[in-house]
Amino acid sequence: MTLIGEIIAVFLTLAIFSFLYKDNPAYRFAEYLIVGVTVGYGLPLVYKNAFQPFVLQRIFVEHKFIFLIPVFFGILFWFRFSRNYGWLSRYPIAISMGMVGAGVTMSMNSMVLVQVRQAMIPLETFNIFLIFLGTITVMFYFFFSKAHTGLYGKFSRIGIWYMMIGFGASFGYTVMARISLLIGRLQFLADTFKGWIA
Amino acid sequence: MNFIKNLQGLDRRYVFVFIAVAIIMPLIFPFNSLTYTTTPVENLYQLIDSYSPYVRADDLNGDGIISEEEAIAFKQDRAIFMDFFHDASTMPELFPMEVAVMRHCIYRRVPFFTFTIMEVAAPIIEEAISVVTDEIQKTGRVIERGKDYINIGYKPPALYLPILLGMGDDIAAAVETDTDGNRIENLPMYRDTAIRNYTQMNLVYETSGSDQGLSWMIYARSRFGVNVGVGLTAVMAADQYPYLQSGQCVGMTAGLKGAAEYENLVDMFAMNNLTFSKGQLDNPTEAMMANLDITSDTVPTKFKMARLGMNAQSVAHILIIVFIILGNIGYFLEKKKQNKNL
Repeated sequence: MTLIGEIIAVFLTLAIFSFLYKDNPAYRFAEYLIVGVTVGYGLPLVYKNAFQPFVLQRIFVEHKFIFLIPVFFGILFWFRFSRNYGWLSRYPIAISMGMVGAGVTMSMNSMVLVQVRQAMIPLETFNIFLIFLGTITVMFYFFFSKAHTGLYGKFSRIGIWYMMIGFGASFGYTVMARISLLIGRLQFLADTFKGWIA
Repeated sequence: MNFIKNLQGLDRRYVFVFIAVAIIMPLIFPFNSLTYTTTPVENLYQLIDSYSPYVRADDLNGDGIISEEEAIAFKQDRAIFMDFFHDASTMPELFPMEVAVMRHCIYRRVPFFTFTIMEVAAPIIEEAISVVTDEIQKTGRVIERGKDYINIGYKPPALYLPILLGMGDDIAAAVETDTDGNRIENLPMYRDTAIRNYTQMNLVYETSGSDQGLSWMIYARSRFGVNVGVGLTAVMAADQYPYLQSGQCVGMTAGLKGAAEYENLVDMFAMNNLTFSKGQLDNPTEAMMANLDITSDTVPTKFKMARLGMNAQSVAHILIIVFIILGNIGYFLEKKKQNKNL
């Protein structure tokens, strides 16, 4: 059974890699298969872990009819496919957006206030000074109500350098991530072939 | 010179072959290379280690060492919570770090919860648990589901926020059942310990290929002060540094490198049942060094996947750098020739 699983996994891995040479039916087969398997695996799991315990169990076994309200709003999502009643799907969307809104104050704390506080600490080390300089100069760059000329232009130019270094770091990390994914698959192939030979 | 200029027009498929060979060779013929640990990884390791009964239990017989019996007898009042937020596409980077953190917890008897809101992550959790427990149980240690760890498994995304906030009061009320349908309050890890909410479960370790860890910082940290550690794909690592710098994120394992660092720390300290110390990290003993030899069988291959991968990563990076340099030389030579012809 394990061997059959390994053969299928090796075939699908090679089928996906075959795209590097050119598009072909084996690649497309593997691509469609992954979409089908993901949906096929997900649907019964969602049914078992969401629909059964939070709809069937609650309403029909525990008789907690309050759960009919979220079920009703959930059903409204399906009207998105109707031309005449599509507007009904906006209500559950509005409720979802309201929930997102509830997190705005907390987001303000984590993403803005704490960050601002940490940007206003004493310049005790060279690293903190670099962070301070970067924060100020990048903010200069994004201030467009003044022409970027003279001393002001020079400061905003430093901001551009900071951003370029940031983008470079992100790109370097991206290359590393992509190579890691390739390593994962090649590690699997190498180990499997080693196992077969042994 | 013509060779370098010809590289400009090289079919990209040759580049793919070069990269493939550069990666496969170190995987087939592994070698030892140095892995330096970074502060974010050390911080995460130290925090998890501080929850260990080997650190927290009372030294009953007064010999200065917490024995296995003393650690087992200790009523555990600390745990970590692991949130898996990724599918198979990011497994090469995230799976080794999840395995390393679980190994750390099991070696040091730190209870852990596993949880996901992505249905495709549910089998990844089971796979990680089985990789770790199967291998460690070969040494004779029995690891019990519900006692050493609780796998909450998949919960619908709509319940993410209610669960996240509800665990501030009581985890058993917030998630109700584990993945096998057992009620949390009936499981020994909850019933027989003092673990109830974020006060005891004071570290959330979230692994993802996105900024999902922010949700824990925004809601759980802001409201309950819970420590948040993240395991990220390398692509997302740069975005996380502001939160590390501000202290909202206590530690981070970034990409394959982060996983390799964590594997190193587990092999050096946890495998030898030692508490982390910077001094020993810089001057390791022979026993610690023996576990770091990835060419030997001291540590099973499953537990050194990130370090094996990092060797291939290093070779691939060198090759890419060489290609970039050659490509640029070719570009400037071509430009010089064009300028001459004008």
